This record gives sequence, C-alpha cells and structure tokens, in this order.
Amino acid sequence: MRKYLAAYELALQNVLQRRSSLIMDRVGGVAVLASLYYFWLALMNGHKGFFGYSKAQMISYVLAINVLRSFVMTGRGWELVGDISGGRISSYLVRPMSYGGYSLALDMAQKTVYLGSAIFEIGIFAALVRAQFYLPRHFAAWLGFAATVILSSLLFFVMEFMVSALAFWTSESGGPLFCFELFIQFAAGAFFPLDVLPKVIRHVLYLSPFPYLVFFPINIYLERVKPGEALRVLAIQGAWLVVMLFFASRLWRRGLRSYAAEGG
Amino acid sequence: MKAVPRYFVIWMRMAAMSLKAQMSHPLGSVGFLLGKLIRILFFFAFVVAIFKNVKELGGYDLADMALFFLTFNLVDLGAQILFRGIYGARRVVEEGDFDFYLVQPCSPLFRIMFATLDFLDLATALPVLVLLGMVFERLPALGAARYALYALLTLNGVAIALAIHVLVAGLAVRTQELENSIWVYRDLMFMGKFPTDIYGPVARWALTFVVPVAVMCTFPAKALLGLLSPGWILYSFFFCLALLAFARRYWLNSVSQYTSSSS
Repeated sequence: MRKYLAAYELALQNVLQRRSSLIMDRVGGVAVLASLYYFWLALMNGHKGFFGYSKAQMISYVLAINVLRSFVMTGRGWELVGDISGGRISSYLVRPMSYGGYSLALDMAQKTVYLGSAIFEIGIFAALVRAQFYLPRHFAAWLGFAATVILSSLLFFVMEFMVSALAFWTSESGGPLFCFELFIQFAAGAFFPLDVLPKVIRHVLYLSPFPYLVFFPINIYLERVKPGEALRVLAIQGAWLVVMLFFASRLWRRGLRSYAAEGG
Repeated sequence: MKAVPRYFVIWMRMAAMSLKAQMSHPLGSVGFLLGKLIRILFFFAFVVAIFKNVKELGGYDLADMALFFLTFNLVDLGAQILFRGIYGARRVVEEGDFDFYLVQPCSPLFRIMFATLDFLDLATALPVLVLLGMVFERLPALGAARYALYALLTLNGVAIALAIHVLVAGLAVRTQELENSIWVYRDLMFMGKFPTDIYGPVARWALTFVVPVAVMCTFPAKALLGLLSPGWILYSFFFCLALLAFARRYWLNSVSQYTSSSS
C-alpha cells in the first residue's frame, strides 16, 4: 500500500508542478460550465421548473456536472494506450507492483487536484453570477452523494481501463477510446439530465452502468432520489463495479498474454 | 497569384497522403468518426427534445436554435477539416522537422496548417449539411441575398478560425507549447453551440470582442434571420481582416525567433 501512496504523492506533485497546463485545462472546463449554465438559465426563464427539477435544482445539476466531470470522468486511458502501444508498460510489469493499482494511484492524484479546482471554480462562478444553489437538507443526501461519487469514479476508471486495454490487440485503440469517452458523457448525463431524453432511451440507459456515473449521484445530491432508492442505486453501482472488475481483470490477463512489447 | 496552382497541387498531394494514412487505420478511423457523429447527433437530439417542452428559448424557436447549432458545427468542422495539421505542429518543431519545412520552396506555415486534411470530419459534415438543408426548408422565404450573406459570414468565421490556428502555430514555434492553447480554443468554441445572446453581458462582450465566438458562429445565423445590423456585419469582416493581419505578423515574428534547438 505504501508504494501506491508514494506513487500518489509523486503524481500529485507532478500535476501541481505543471501549473500552466492545469490552469489552461480548467479554463476550458469553466467555458463548458458557463455555456450550460446560461443555456439552462435562459430555458428556465419564466418557468418554475423543468422536467421535474426546480430552478435551483437544475442550476445545481449543471454546476455539479463540473465537479463530477473533474472527479469521475477524468482518467488515464490515453496514457495507458500510449504505454501499451509504445511498449513502455514493460518497465512497469517487471516492478513489484500491480499496474492497475499504480494507474489508480496516478488517477486519484489527478482527480484530487481537479476536484479541489472544480469546487473552487464553482464557488467563484456561483458567486459571480449569483447562482441559485440547491443544498441538501438531510445529512443522508450528502453521505449518499459522497459514497456514489467514489463508486462512480472507480467504475469509470475500470471501464476506461477495459477500453484502453484494447491496445494489447490493436494499435488503433485510440478510435474506440475516443468514441467511448464521447458516448459516455451523453449516456451518463454529463451534458444534460437524462430526463430530457425520450422515455424509451432513458429506460434502455438505466439498464447500463452509464447513468450511475453522473446522473444518479447528482440526483441523490438533489434529493430527487429517496433514501431507500439511494441505497438501491449504491447497490447497483457496487454490482456494476464488481462485474466490470471481473471482466477487466480477465481482459488484462489475456492482454498480457498477447503483449509483444512492440516499440519497447 | 502565380503560386496558387503550385500550392493547390501541394495541398492535393498532402490531402491524398492524409486519406491514405486514415484508410490505413480503419478501426481507429471508424471509432473517431462514430465519436464525432455521436457528439453532433446527441446534441441535436437534445435541442429537439428541449423544444418539445418549450416554444422558444431566448426569443428563438426550434428552427432558429437548430440553425445556430448547425452553423457552429459548420464553422468548427470547416476549421477541423482544413487546419487539422496544426495538431501536429508541436511534434514538427520538437523533432526538428521544421528545419526541413524552412528550406523547402513552400511556405512553412502552409505546410504546418494544411499538412492533414481530416476526411473523418469531412464525413461528419454530411449529416450537418443535410440537417442544415432541413432547417432552411423550415425557415420562411428569406431571399438569395440573405443566404449569400450567411455563406460569406460563415466563411468569415472559418477565416477567423484560420487566424486563431496561425496564432497557435506561432506559439508552437516560439514555445513548443500547443496542446493547452488549442484545447482552450476548442472548449471556448463550445459556447458557440448556442446563440451568444443567452449569455450574461460580460460573457457576451468577451465573446464578441476578445474571443470572437459570437462573430464566428452566432453572427452568420443572425444575419440569415435578419437580426444583424449592417454595423455588426462590417465589424465581423473588419475583425477578421485585423486578426488575420495580426496572426501573420505574429507568425513571422515567431519564425524569426526560431532557434532550431530541437533538431
């Protein structure tokens, strides 16, 4: 465990050291946040609610997207693809540690910085535009939100790990990863609440793990999901995580068997 | 002007090479193409779904909003298709290939900017054009002059994108920094998906005078709808010319400071 903590600390220093990259990265995120905020604000103008969301809830959904994009939907997929395709992963495989664990430590370091930054940005942005912000009234909602966000972050990490592992078999895995990253943003509700979509599409998506990444965690925060239902969401998230972990480990083992260290 | 046919031949050659490169990675290309289509179609479906519940947004109806969204895509895709080469500028400078560009009888800026023609974005443009045609049909009869002005302002938007890409290329030559600046531009362009009238006054001002997303994406659609005054039309063209001139100066200055230290 200590070696992963050391990797986490080093990665944290690395992210913080590249300040200009970090700032530019976050400026881009704020542009998306502002765009969606003003879109929903214009839409809510003259309406008390929309799709069952009050104005404060909808605005909070948009602001919360920025947090979850930072903590859940950032990953090391492209680095993994590069490590496998370029043969760099060989040097990690001979070390006395798991590549998955090492990768998770690096991922968490980036997420820690991005989460802090996202909260800071939201605070400044909400103060500047005097945004109506929904704060949960019950402690259980905060707790449930925190638990689902941690689980969804792990779930995204494992899913992205699986798609990136395609690089063991093809040097063209960047295409599927790009497609996966774009699709998941819409299917998870990271651009707009899934309630906007037609009922049939929504119910199909509910059968997949994607809405458990962003949509359900935010709905728990907004107290649109009752406590009993929140427990069900957590259980389903946990189940998806176990399933994905099972397939990811199988895929990883098979990938390592076919790995030829090309370029390494 | 004599150089134009020569540059066209060079551009065609580079386009053919890009096509071969993209065809040699079928799985990767299909993945990228699907991703781009998902992005456009999901957003379009989102706008349509919203208008099933409201009649107007910021004074615009569904056809208007679709026009703004598709115009954004037209400008964005135009830049992506033509100026994709800029994404490889850092590698060109870092690996020293830029030295070879400088000694060739062809503008190094042209080589960097147009090194890649993105056929995947060209394929993505097809559904955008079909949807745009459907939106045009839903609009009332507007006259040929309005459509001509729309086309001119859209081209003006692509020309502004060209100027921004030249600035980024200059930055790459000067500092070998590229990824961040080009991605900030891409993220800021996200704001062009919707008419800039919906944003707050400060954001609207910045998008008109500093980062000209409004001039690039919103103005063409507003001109077509007859909502843009002649003053703003003139401003759009003037802004574009001024930015192009500035970008050219910045590029020449960056090249004059190039030390060839990477090679």
